[in-house]
Amino acid sequence: MTVEQLAAMVIAACEQEGVEHMLTGAFAHGLYGIPRSTKDVDVVLSLIGANPFQRVTQRLSEIVEFEQQIQFDTLTWGKRQVGQSISNPPFKVELFELFDDPFVQAQFQRKRKMFSVQLQRDAWLPTPEDVVVQKLRWGRNKDLDDARDVLAVQGPETLDMTYIRNWCGIHGTLERLETALDGIPPLD
Amino acid sequence: MQDDIYREKILRARKSTPEQRLADVFELTNTVFARMHEGAMWQTGCTDKEEGWKIVRQRLSRLQKVHDLGRFVNQKPEKVHDC
Repeated sequence: MTVEQLAAMVIAACEQEGVEHMLTGAFAHGLYGIPRSTKDVDVVLSLIGANPFQRVTQRLSEIVEFEQQIQFDTLTWGKRQVGQSISNPPFKVELFELFDDPFVQAQFQRKRKMFSVQLQRDAWLPTPEDVVVQKLRWGRNKDLDDARDVLAVQGPETLDMTYIRNWCGIHGTLERLETALDGIPPLD
Repeated sequence: MQDDIYREKILRARKSTPEQRLADVFELTNTVFARMHEGAMWQTGCTDKEEGWKIVRQRLSRLQKVHDLGRFVNQKPEKVHDC
């Protein structure tokens, strides 16, 4: 199985269960920044309806083995459930709950639909501005590089920097934003 | 030198469409997993492909523990401060 086949199956499972969803992680970064490989398919799930995590994991149970233990992100305390594809290669699937955090909610509401030839279906993805804000908030070295990549490839002049600065101000990450902008080499 | 390489990466990405960049993520990921498998088999002298994938799974599991350390926990504290 390829990673795009797995991603398509995860999206199909969400659609079949009527669970609103959004691809995130390296797919979102690659869409707007500099493509890199990843180990996982990351998806945010809306929690509207009964037990969306359980329904989606159950729907995927023949292709993905999920850990029973739900985990919490120590930055935002959002929930995550991790699984691994049963067939090889062993790609990881990470399902994140859409929880009651103002930025996470805004990011999900602003998501965009795009058709992917590789996925052979529509996929919902965050805006580039939201990818930058999220990456700066997480703040690991890899995240900061990812934020800089999106800023560099998209160009700050094409992005809604007021929106980005507003959320960075709320998250206390304005310094990270300035560092990321300073890290863009001259392109002319 | 590093700036030049990074600059080239940015300019190449700018020339690609979002769809192409997403396709590149898929291709890079599939290639990296294939290389991990080849590397595991070469390093251990293993000739059974399934065994090779088992080694990759073990390595990824260890890597996940390292990456998740301090970032994900199994239990939410009773009182947490919002970010």
